[in-house]
Amino acid sequence: MNCDELRDDYELYALGIAEDPEAGEIRAHLERNCPICVPGVRTARQLTSLLGASAPEVVPPARLRKRVLAVAGGQKASLWNWSPVWAAVAAGALIAAVIFNVRGQRASAELQQAAAQLQQLQAESANQTRELARLNEAFAILNQPDAKQVVFGGAAPQPPRGRVFLDPKRGVLLLASNLPPAPAGKIYEMWVIPKGGAPVPAGLFQSSADGTALHVLPGPVNLAGTAAVAVTVEVAAGATVPNLPPVFAAAL
Amino acid sequence: MIFAPQSCIFRNSAFNRIPKLMLPLLLAIEFGENDADLVRRLQRRDPRAMAELYDRYGRLVYALILRVVRDGGIAEDLVQETFLRVWNRVQGFDAERGGLGAWLLAVARNRAIDYLRSAAGRMRNAVEVPETDHPALFADMEKELFNSDRVRRVRTALEKLSANQRAVIELAYFEGLSQAEMAERMKQPLGTVKTWVRTALKSLRDELGTAVIA
Repeated sequence: MNCDELRDDYELYALGIAEDPEAGEIRAHLERNCPICVPGVRTARQLTSLLGASAPEVVPPARLRKRVLAVAGGQKASLWNWSPVWAAVAAGALIAAVIFNVRGQRASAELQQAAAQLQQLQAESANQTRELARLNEAFAILNQPDAKQVVFGGAAPQPPRGRVFLDPKRGVLLLASNLPPAPAGKIYEMWVIPKGGAPVPAGLFQSSADGTALHVLPGPVNLAGTAAVAVTVEVAAGATVPNLPPVFAAAL
Repeated sequence: MIFAPQSCIFRNSAFNRIPKLMLPLLLAIEFGENDADLVRRLQRRDPRAMAELYDRYGRLVYALILRVVRDGGIAEDLVQETFLRVWNRVQGFDAERGGLGAWLLAVARNRAIDYLRSAAGRMRNAVEVPETDHPALFADMEKELFNSDRVRRVRTALEKLSANQRAVIELAYFEGLSQAEMAERMKQPLGTVKTWVRTALKSLRDELGTAVIA
């Protein structure tokens, strides 16, 4: 089909409701960088994008901003950029103290203080590195178009709810809300329950003060052989078998 | 004959409502730091850029997702997922050429429709949704697409559509229904629905003229 015949289907294509053969033809024109269809579809995408701005206006809850900023590490995340700098500064101070330190107790105290600061910064940096790695694992699972998604929760009044994403190569991602922090001395434990088998421990996690939680079990997972993913409350050290009924379970 | 849908979404059409809260948002979009600078800072993993991205588009994204899923809690989860995905994929976005707002809304819409399909047991990613939010698709788009004048013109154009034309556009955009699914939902012949869709889109195109041409 030529471009003139496809022109009236650009908006349908941008909306995702074009049908074959037109949809296939437009896709082919775009793939070969057609000088007419590429800008035509782009304009159509702009038009359909604007439809999104026509949704009824609402003010999102204030907590949502905190949740979104947590994606990027929020306030703490700013240390991801700066902590290496401060660590380097502290290390420089330490070296300077060694080189230029000349006298006794006072210098020794400063040295100890600088070392403590360095240790603290290194600990913070390590925590942030672990958090970043966890988020990257979550991203990897979330970005798989073939990942299986299971929704749980939704009953009255406000039980935990959310979604579980399972990717056979990358693992299991749990996103939950309405999940209050576990009681003191307790922790949440995720379980992957095989079909006809005993629950397998899938990691410990704690929810945040606003009741949201993100937990990742990295590594391959047998989708066909999995019956459900569940969460229980366990002692802080975790358990090898669930000791209480699940707080929630997502059946595949 | 005018189709008389039972669902309140048609009677209380999103497109019929007068914006009350949009002005501050649009002013923020129009007069804030430009999107290209914001994208570059996101690509440098500056968490403060994420805060600015949310302040600029968060309300728009939340409104869109809430319109689709109609549940505040679920909408919050999906907004978080939307920004998570953008944060993760922003390296593939062309700061100089890309339309950030359009990309963000495409990601938001896809997350929300994906959820609807998943919750309804419909096959995930059944239509063309998966590829419609790839960052490369937003190259050479108008960078500040959501300025107040343009949004106002689109709203006006939508208000001029007939009830049935608006209904099919809403079902396509906010619910991700195919034309066959719309026909089933509206209990109308497929040919009739296709005519409504085409005439609605043509009217929008004619009304808006060059408003959406970068």
